[in-house]
Amino acid sequence: MLLIREDIEILRSATERNRRSREMINWVETLGESGNFFGGEPLAAIGRYISKDAVLSDGPFIEAKECISGYISLKAENLEQAVSISQTCPYVLNGTMILEVRPVLVNNE
Amino acid sequence: MDKVQEEVNRLYKTHFGKMVASLLYFSGDIDLETAEDLVQDSFSAALTAWPKDGIPSNKAGWIFKVCRNKALNKIKEGKRFRTLFEDESFSSGEGKFSESAFDDQQLKLLFASAHPDLSPKVQVAITLKYVVNLKVEAIAKIFGMTVDGVDRLLVRARQKIKDEKLFLQETHLAALKWRLPIVHKILYLIFNEGYKSSWGKELIREELCEEALLMNKILLESRIGNNETAALYALMLFNAARFKSRFDASGGLLDLEDQDRSLWNKDLIALAHHFLEQSKGEIISSYHYEASIAYLHCIAKHFDSTDWVTISNLYLQLLQNNPNPFIELNYAIALYYSGERSKANTLLNHLQQNSFLNHYYLLNATLGKVNLLEGNYKKAKGFFLKTLEQTNFEVEKIFIRKMIDKTETKEKQKKI
Repeated sequence: MLLIREDIEILRSATERNRRSREMINWVETLGESGNFFGGEPLAAIGRYISKDAVLSDGPFIEAKECISGYISLKAENLEQAVSISQTCPYVLNGTMILEVRPVLVNNE
Repeated sequence: MDKVQEEVNRLYKTHFGKMVASLLYFSGDIDLETAEDLVQDSFSAALTAWPKDGIPSNKAGWIFKVCRNKALNKIKEGKRFRTLFEDESFSSGEGKFSESAFDDQQLKLLFASAHPDLSPKVQVAITLKYVVNLKVEAIAKIFGMTVDGVDRLLVRARQKIKDEKLFLQETHLAALKWRLPIVHKILYLIFNEGYKSSWGKELIREELCEEALLMNKILLESRIGNNETAALYALMLFNAARFKSRFDASGGLLDLEDQDRSLWNKDLIALAHHFLEQSKGEIISSYHYEASIAYLHCIAKHFDSTDWVTISNLYLQLLQNNPNPFIELNYAIALYYSGERSKANTLLNHLQQNSFLNHYYLLNATLGKVNLLEGNYKKAKGFFLKTLEQTNFEVEKIFIRKMIDKTETKEKQKKI
């Protein structure tokens, strides 16, 4: 699973957001071709934080610089390959996006 | 261009990677970058020497001899002289530089590129760099990346290959046979890169397809190849047979429906069919399914007489092993033409819900086409306008603009 983190400020502009999602879909298309892609969605830049105290906050979205803006499910041979796949993302290459790579735990029982 | 320059250029194209591979193979003390530099230098040496001394009869041998001497000096400099270099087989390098050994080196490099820790894209990039001998600039253009970005990918990949120490000892290719599926994927992706219509009739694209076919052939003949290799070869040949008909005389993109089927290369189709037959065995890979689909397209006399029912079944089977929305899109198209229109529409609507796919130009182009066929011209136009924003390629934009014109004419006709 790739968690996509990027600068929330960049995403506030609609044209920029569209441009970036277009570029991302081009990249995802290459993952589809190589058989590595099987799912994913962008996330809206709104949300709520919920905790025990039942205090609902707008989350980090007001002051924080970075947010999780989507996720991508990958099929990869190993963690190394997933890392290597992430490194081919155009926005990772230009330094405006961070991809967190996390293996999904599979129950083998 | 004078004759020497011409000869050197030709050799450079065909032998650069092979010579780099040979140098790596013969000495463990040379890394990939040094080997590249040495081979580069040797080609320059030929450019200086040949106009004076004449072109030698064994041109590749001459250059490799210079390479070897340069390598020896390099190692002596580093005071790490190895007995390996005194080895008979290496000292007599010039004569031994035969073509079959070249093929073997190339295959080894190909299998080295198929490192499972690298992403398919990076595997393709290093294959293009070291096996096909493309320049970084060309690779960047193919991938739509910056030269800097490609360089960064290659650095990491180079380290992986170096860690392998594949060229240190007599590694038998058979020991790497487990990497065959990755090698297949690399060849498949290289062919696809070349086959993409987005670039129009660019020459480099056709070359990519040829390179993929060539490497696949070497693999088939090497006894490492299996049924999957044959299926992949068949798939590529079926597509190659249709290469020329995808564009009209002015280079414009043509729909499968509008292609002149008499332009399809019958010899290639027959050859492809031969390999598809040969590929039959216990294992049915995704290449088998894709080749069978391509085969059904190739034998159909007309677009309308295509066996869409079988094609959609094949896509369904393909999806079972490779669940991915891009194949689902193809499945939906096949369903539509096979007459299962409502099923196709349901699937297309479902794909539209995925926000990634919603930004995908081919999904919107498909929705446009389906609505055009259904007589929803306004809706069709809307999807085509969306598509127009989603592609950056001029040939595709021209094609989509034509489709938009079509929706407008039809809409007018409807009103009359």
